[in-house]
Amino acid sequence: MEAVNVAQNLGQGAELAGKYLTFSLGNEGYGVGILSVREIIGVMEITAVPHTPSYIRGVINLRGKVIPVLDLRLKFSMNHKEYDERTCIIVVEVQGQTAPVQVGMVVDSVSEVLNIAAGEIEPPPSLGSSSETENILGMAKAKGEVKILLDVDKVVGEGILQQLAS
Amino acid sequence: MAAGHKPLSDLLDEMALKILMIEPGDLSIVGELLDLIEKLLPGQAAADTPMVIQRMAAAFKGALEKFIMGELADSAENYDFLGQCITEMQESARKEGRPGEKILEQFCENMKKIGFSLQPSALLGANDAASAGMDKAGEAALGEDACAVASPQIDSIQAQAPAAEALPDFLQDTDLLAGFIEEAFEHLESIEVNVLELEQSPDDQDIINNIFRPFHTIKGVSGFLNLKTINRLAHATENLLDDVRNGKRSMDSAVIDIVLTVGDALKSMVENIKDVLQNGPANYKDTDISGFLANITQLQEGGGEAPSVEPVSAPVADSPPEIFEPEEAEPLASEEEAESVAAPSRPTPPTRAAQVAAAPRAELPAGPAARPSADSAQKKIGASIKVDVEKLDALVNAVGELVIMQSLVRQNKLVSRIADAKLTKDFSQLTRITSELQRTAMSMRMVPIKQTFDKMIRLVRDLSKKSGKKVDLIMEGADTEIDRNMVESIYDPLVHMMRNSVDHGISPPAEREKVGKPETGTVFLRAYQKGGSMMIEIEDDGEGLNTQKIRKKAIERGLVSESDNLSDFELNNLIFLPGFSTADKITDVSGRGVGMDVVKKAVEKLRGKVDVQSQPGKGSLFTIRLPLTLAIIDGIIVRVGTERYIIPTIAIQESMRPDRTNYSTVHGRGENLLVRGELVPIIRLYEIFGVESTNTDPCEAIVVVVENEGRRRALMVDELLGKEEVVIKNLGGLDVPGVAGGTILGDGRVGLILDLAGVIANKTD
Repeated sequence: MEAVNVAQNLGQGAELAGKYLTFSLGNEGYGVGILSVREIIGVMEITAVPHTPSYIRGVINLRGKVIPVLDLRLKFSMNHKEYDERTCIIVVEVQGQTAPVQVGMVVDSVSEVLNIAAGEIEPPPSLGSSSETENILGMAKAKGEVKILLDVDKVVGEGILQQLAS
Repeated sequence: MAAGHKPLSDLLDEMALKILMIEPGDLSIVGELLDLIEKLLPGQAAADTPMVIQRMAAAFKGALEKFIMGELADSAENYDFLGQCITEMQESARKEGRPGEKILEQFCENMKKIGFSLQPSALLGANDAASAGMDKAGEAALGEDACAVASPQIDSIQAQAPAAEALPDFLQDTDLLAGFIEEAFEHLESIEVNVLELEQSPDDQDIINNIFRPFHTIKGVSGFLNLKTINRLAHATENLLDDVRNGKRSMDSAVIDIVLTVGDALKSMVENIKDVLQNGPANYKDTDISGFLANITQLQEGGGEAPSVEPVSAPVADSPPEIFEPEEAEPLASEEEAESVAAPSRPTPPTRAAQVAAAPRAELPAGPAARPSADSAQKKIGASIKVDVEKLDALVNAVGELVIMQSLVRQNKLVSRIADAKLTKDFSQLTRITSELQRTAMSMRMVPIKQTFDKMIRLVRDLSKKSGKKVDLIMEGADTEIDRNMVESIYDPLVHMMRNSVDHGISPPAEREKVGKPETGTVFLRAYQKGGSMMIEIEDDGEGLNTQKIRKKAIERGLVSESDNLSDFELNNLIFLPGFSTADKITDVSGRGVGMDVVKKAVEKLRGKVDVQSQPGKGSLFTIRLPLTLAIIDGIIVRVGTERYIIPTIAIQESMRPDRTNYSTVHGRGENLLVRGELVPIIRLYEIFGVESTNTDPCEAIVVVVENEGRRRALMVDELLGKEEVVIKNLGGLDVPGVAGGTILGDGRVGLILDLAGVIANKTD
């Protein structure tokens, strides 16, 4: 996994080019690969689950299926913001230990789907500690803005799947 | 990286269960064992598997291969040793891959007893010991004589020699072939069930037709697909059965035996075809069917007479006419089988026919010659289709959502204000339809346990023949329905317990007569529903457990102390402890060095319980209690602050608003409540779940007294909201102590189901 990412980053994002769903957290723009996105739903009542990290808000009922939801703001140690009508849950699917699992990510608002070319992607900046950047696939300059491209498997994998392992 | 790997201990447990199920002659399980052990081999095992275990596994695999090649004797004794090897591997796993030398020595000792030499040092050091073993296994060309000497009860390995002939040309149409395989398995299954039914009512022409037809179909399709060997075998058997249908001969035990053994042989042949389809033609094995053919011809020529039989005491009789010895078969073998005879080839159950004499009710009267129309026979088999489990789950989910949405619409403020009689009527009609829909969807997961029970008939039949004991199996409540997800998981433990009852519970006829019992022993297999549970009972009228021996053993192993005053019931149930499974045996209790703890584990995985009651000299009664379904739990919904939790009803004893006089604390912390004269610790749910609660004073809140594993606790909650049967769903990857899962409540929100064991443990920590 590590090795692959390094290779991808060195390749200046040729592998990373493609469609991304972009959304915002505070003033920052983010993107996740469109292929891992299952659906986008409005924020709904979340049932808190005890003994979980604070960024795991709990579980929701997605048409009869119970899925965990994590708050990306809390995950990235940003200030908590009250949910409003623009708050969305992006449901992504990642590979779990045995089967694919769906996980919801709470974001401030969803923007649009962008087609990002290889040339627009740069490797993640080194910000000293690696823990901050290892969730990041790369930085994309699109439409005059910088979008942080997230590695969903890492973000969610760390949040949910490791919890499962422990 | 551990994804896809089962934990080591689970794998070993699974192997332990499998080895318990091996019957001499039943190589299919050896095959399954081989599949399992391969997951532990160097290079394939999970990264965290200790090297020692990987090396042990490699050696074990070498031994298994020798069994399959027929180089090692296929006897119960040897499987016992294998069982002990697994125990030693389990032991090593428990010691995290640092087993003492003693364990390794024992392992090698056991291997040696089987005839597979191994040095303990090899397990610790270079791993070429294992590969050396495998090489040896490869030189399969042992003479038959040697085999015969090595195993006096050569019963029935089916050592299939690789086909030296050019590959058969049946691989041309793989689609058709895949369809055939699927179909053939179903047919073979139905043959077996029908044959066993026939033993109960031998005159039933319908059943004979039901046996005849699948053979006919298999013959037809295999001929079309150019599967020559299968075709010929099915054809010959069909001819034999046709004679029976036409009244030329009676459906006696000899025919039944042939049909069963041929069924087994066909199954393994089809299995092999499947293997070829999946893994390439190199896996093709030619099966020697000449023995069967000879046998069938012999029966046919012998007309209606039963074949000569041999006493059971000499399973390998010198030369009963229908013996399956390869050398006898050779003259009959066609060119395509000639190759296989060179290798030690011992087709499936050769001695079954010889054992008929000892079996109770084996001689069956001739069936009437009347041949009813095929249609009437077919009606008995209910029409059914196979559905993907995922689709079924999706349906159940969707229906559940439908019910919730319906109640949401109904409770909508605007809608509920409409005072229209028509609307009210329509709503109640809608409710009826949706609840009917829900019931049906739920029941689709349920299947009668009959399927599993039917397999036990065969098991007991074979066991009793092999051991020379007379055993009647009486089944009750086979129509009881059980969650289909549980059917497979309950099969293995059930087999083990049945074996246990026949092997150890029931004594040989002579001994039974001595103590004044009828010489035929009886094993009851019952299933029934009791409350929200499914009960399975296995009762025998055998010797019962030797409680004193168990006690002695338990003290030896340090499980109980000399001074402990345990009731007989408690002592008997010690057999389910892991400590009892290792090493030397209590003859009348344990089997293969691995034991009842595996049964217990398997049952507990299904959220069930197992216990045993026994009366010395009179018999034992094993009771398995299982939830009706894994999908639904009966629960009480409670409110704590704004959160709602579901407590499983089965654990709840009572609920109350505590009286202050009954409330006490220890050192100002440990809170207790006096409930019917017993002090019960209080657990504040809001505290351990970290939520806001309406009440912080237990005497203003409500407590629910629950019991789990003998521990009682009073859970403090704000309110009881009601009782509901809820569908258990996992939390999508979250694994939380104290929470068993989630469910969708009536308002569409998720409620958490409490796992009491976790809640109590959490508090105790």
